[in-house]
Amino acid sequence: MGYLLPGSSTPTSATPRRTPGPAGWLLLSPLLLWLGLFVVVPTLLLVILSFCSRDPDAPGRVLYAFTLENYVRAFQPTYLKILGSSLLYAFLTAILCLVMGYPVAYFIGRAPEGRRNTLLALVMIPFWTSFLIRTYAWVTILSNQGFLNGILQASGLTSAPVDFMYTPGAVVLGLVYNYLPFMILPIYGSVEKLDQSLIEAAYDLGARPWSALVEVILPLTRPGIVAGFFLVFVPSIAMFAITTLMGGGAVPTVGEVIQKQFTAARHAPFGAALGTLLLLLFFAGLWATKPRREPEPID
Amino acid sequence: MNIIRPSAFAALLACALLATGCDKKTAGPETPISRETKSPGELRLFCWSEYVPQTVIDKFTEETGINVYVENYASNEEMLAKLQAGGALYDLVQPSEYATEMLIKEGMLLPLNKANIPNFKNLAPEFVGMGYDPQNTHSVPFMGGSVGIVYNKERIKTPVNGFGDVFVPEHAGRIVVPDDAREIVTMALDHLGLPINEINADSLAAARTVLTDWLKLVKVYDSDSPKTALLNGDVDLGIVWSGEGALILNESDKFAWVLPREGAHLFVDNLAIPKTARNKAGAEAFINFILRPEVSILISEEFPYTNPNTEARKLLSPEQLANPASFPTKEEWARLEIFHDIGGAASDIDGVVTDLRAQ
Repeated sequence: MGYLLPGSSTPTSATPRRTPGPAGWLLLSPLLLWLGLFVVVPTLLLVILSFCSRDPDAPGRVLYAFTLENYVRAFQPTYLKILGSSLLYAFLTAILCLVMGYPVAYFIGRAPEGRRNTLLALVMIPFWTSFLIRTYAWVTILSNQGFLNGILQASGLTSAPVDFMYTPGAVVLGLVYNYLPFMILPIYGSVEKLDQSLIEAAYDLGARPWSALVEVILPLTRPGIVAGFFLVFVPSIAMFAITTLMGGGAVPTVGEVIQKQFTAARHAPFGAALGTLLLLLFFAGLWATKPRREPEPID
Repeated sequence: MNIIRPSAFAALLACALLATGCDKKTAGPETPISRETKSPGELRLFCWSEYVPQTVIDKFTEETGINVYVENYASNEEMLAKLQAGGALYDLVQPSEYATEMLIKEGMLLPLNKANIPNFKNLAPEFVGMGYDPQNTHSVPFMGGSVGIVYNKERIKTPVNGFGDVFVPEHAGRIVVPDDAREIVTMALDHLGLPINEINADSLAAARTVLTDWLKLVKVYDSDSPKTALLNGDVDLGIVWSGEGALILNESDKFAWVLPREGAHLFVDNLAIPKTARNKAGAEAFINFILRPEVSILISEEFPYTNPNTEARKLLSPEQLANPASFPTKEEWARLEIFHDIGGAASDIDGVVTDLRAQ
């Protein structure tokens, strides 16, 4: 999140970095205090917990004695496999959201200014209902005696109910459905600021629509794409409510496994180790996709 | 590293606002529990979700003037963790039998003053003095139940009498089981005739062998509402809580209930007062209120588990009493066994089940 820090949000890399003055720090202090107390401290506690053992006499209790046991266990094939499949689901979700969300965001961003807010409101309306209720709605649509199978059978397209629920497809559908707005909004932000004259210039210089898209539009909206990708990918990895409701939990996800360590399994240190590994993975991902310094600022 | 455009930044902010708005929505109506207010007119109840009917709570408030603040949990361990962490001040909790045993062992419950709970006499003898609290010094049963089999008679033609008949290759992809490692391992231990409360490396290895074949056949793991997948036709048979089983039988006559011949888990959910309680008198008044026959039947109507109250059973309809999932026969009752606290084995059990599910 380094590039989101105030003072580093200047659009060109040529301008020297501005650091906030005393008044700036004062204004920032509530945020810094909040981040420190509710992000940094809990994260540190999680990391410390991941190196602790359990009290053999009362397993719910944590013993502050150093051990690497939790990490050794986290690298067992079972947990690596679970992590792998969770990453795959999340990646697939982010890609599908991108493919479906980009045209929508582009359409809204290029729509007449008066209509944009209405269109954006339409994107956000589902958020007025709890995501759990929206997910349950999908259960009624997809189940064997549900709405979709009813239509398919009434129209004679299928003779027996098709299994839609409790499949990997249902999981991805649930994730894409819930996270799509998080892809559309940041891309919309980039598209809205896109200078129409640059696209016209591309056409004037003989670009076909495809190359105008690939060489001008996509690079200029890259920040929105990257932000949207992370806003979808990161929460998808650890999401467990949708995967258990729509996937039936046949293949556990890493979020579900972590949650169980803190509850039924009563092994908080192991859950903390899995959580810490996930956190490291996020940092690695952020670092790998860190926006490169562009040689020529566009303004 | 700062090419993110201000517009994208603004969109991110919008997302953040959106996300927080969404969180507020998902959190739902919450009852604030503050430390400061210390009036005898308040009772803080920490109970399972979907277990204490609102009508019962309203009736109690109407009668006593005590405002009841309800907070819910979805598992015993969630409740234990909150109590152990301290800071949460509840007057009444609702632990299952093995959790009650653990809370007593850890000295986290207050002894009950039976003089304030005269309705205790209404309880059926089989629910009094059970192994987890032999003298009922710290807990009073709220509801009991078993873990049994429900199957769709139209789709399952072979006889189903026990766990061994559920987990056969013909039923692959048609089974729902609780999303609960201990229940899953208990099915295998009961099937093997091994003790369900003494879990060691040998018995766990034996259970693992059985579950390796069984869990491959499971389509859905669901503890919250296993009846959904059955009633929607997504699965044809499954292992469900008896209260859910009773609701399925009430809703559709396509289904049948079987108490596994190998034996099964009997759970007893209790009311108990944590050490940190501030309104012990109110909590005991609530327990006594719950034990009134006319109140107890309100719970049975909404959540048809095994009502432990003999006087209440007299007020239930013949149909309610005839529901085989709600009220097991004497002979079936003898096959049931309660859970005891198994300590560190909980993590080993979770490891085995997670491992097999990820195969």
